[in-house]
Amino acid sequence: MTLFKSVSPHYCASLPGLFVSVASKHLALVAIATLCIATAMPSLAGSRILGTGGVSAIEGAAGGGLSPWAVLSSTASEQEVGVTAAATRAWVNDYRLTVTGASLNIYDRAELSVARQRLDLETLGGELSQDIYGAKLRLFGDVLYHPWGIWSLGVQHKRVDDGTIPTALGANATSGTDAYLSASKLLFSAVAGRNVLLNATLRNTEANQGGLLGFGGDQGSRSWVAEGSVGVFITPQWIVGAEYRQKPDNLSAAQEDDWQSLYSAYFFNKHLSLTGAWLDLGDIAGLPSQQGGYLSLQAAF
Amino acid sequence: MRRYLLATLCVTALLTVAGCASHQATLYERLGGQSNIDAVVENLLYRIADDDEMVGFFANSNIDLFAESLATQLCDVSDGPCRYEGPPMDRAHQHMGLTDVHFNRLVEYLDAAMQEEGIGLGARNELLGRLAPMYADVMRLQ
Repeated sequence: MTLFKSVSPHYCASLPGLFVSVASKHLALVAIATLCIATAMPSLAGSRILGTGGVSAIEGAAGGGLSPWAVLSSTASEQEVGVTAAATRAWVNDYRLTVTGASLNIYDRAELSVARQRLDLETLGGELSQDIYGAKLRLFGDVLYHPWGIWSLGVQHKRVDDGTIPTALGANATSGTDAYLSASKLLFSAVAGRNVLLNATLRNTEANQGGLLGFGGDQGSRSWVAEGSVGVFITPQWIVGAEYRQKPDNLSAAQEDDWQSLYSAYFFNKHLSLTGAWLDLGDIAGLPSQQGGYLSLQAAF
Repeated sequence: MRRYLLATLCVTALLTVAGCASHQATLYERLGGQSNIDAVVENLLYRIADDDEMVGFFANSNIDLFAESLATQLCDVSDGPCRYEGPPMDRAHQHMGLTDVHFNRLVEYLDAAMQEEGIGLGARNELLGRLAPMYADVMRLQ
């Protein structure tokens, strides 16, 4: 466990104001994050316990990989501001997904995030990409200390770059917004003396394949889906687990399946984590049973 | 054949008796008993003493009394042969101006102290799990 002597709560405190003015340019936030990282002392870390910020989910929010969790990113606590930057790549049979993202945790109350996803259609040719702007508000609780865990409400606004393929497949729109309610709770010493992290998320969405195939379609539009994960902290630095994400199935031309993963995340310290996973994403855009690997590196300050 | 059966029965009976006799170790025992709990408390206090911000909260405390009280409380919480009779957690911490930052830092120091005093992960997690619900009481009167 990383020990640190003092945390300067005002560090990077000017970030919230900056963020608002540049929210439309995700690259700017990545730049700010990098700047903050570059200028911050390595000893700077939030006071929350290692691992309680999860890792970066593919839509930018703090989570497990496929699904957002209720915890807010980094280890910033009240009076502290945290920043994360993450790079993620997933390889499945016929596609390759690349995600770059960044997030800002303000006083462990609100999390703002941006992510850029690019899906290379390696078999079909071409690519799909979208930007995702996220906000998450901690309603109440704490993943460690509150008997009911931590509860958060989040939104993710997604905008597809080029609507040609989604529209051709029958999508109604090329932008859309998800809303979700998420709860996370750590159970101390639950399995063989190890702590177990539970997460459940209820999402309202019209996104096809997370948004990369547009929003809504001939078979439906907005619907509620459930997502969940279970993880065991083998050590305080290392968690392994499984994640499940239910998905809508709006396009008759491109059947969509639920996503699932087996993951392993290692927290080297409060600043660096590496996540590896095995993915089973089912059918994507007409190509069946997409499975493969996933790697994600996150820096947090 | 009958002798073999009898032997099996005897061994089974013996194992059952042995199993009943060896009771499940309490958390107190897994923490290493009172001497190790005392060592953890001392280790924790050194970490606090090295932390300018944290040590301020103890400016008006009798450290020896505090150490004894905390050790008794940890003994009590871990099912040891003690009874904590100090002030309740909300009154003990009232108006100290504690935030999550301080609470989290104490958790980290306690875990590090337990680790350094050779306590295994399972026992550490279990003690932290028993202490975690105290958060609400500690923070109630801030």
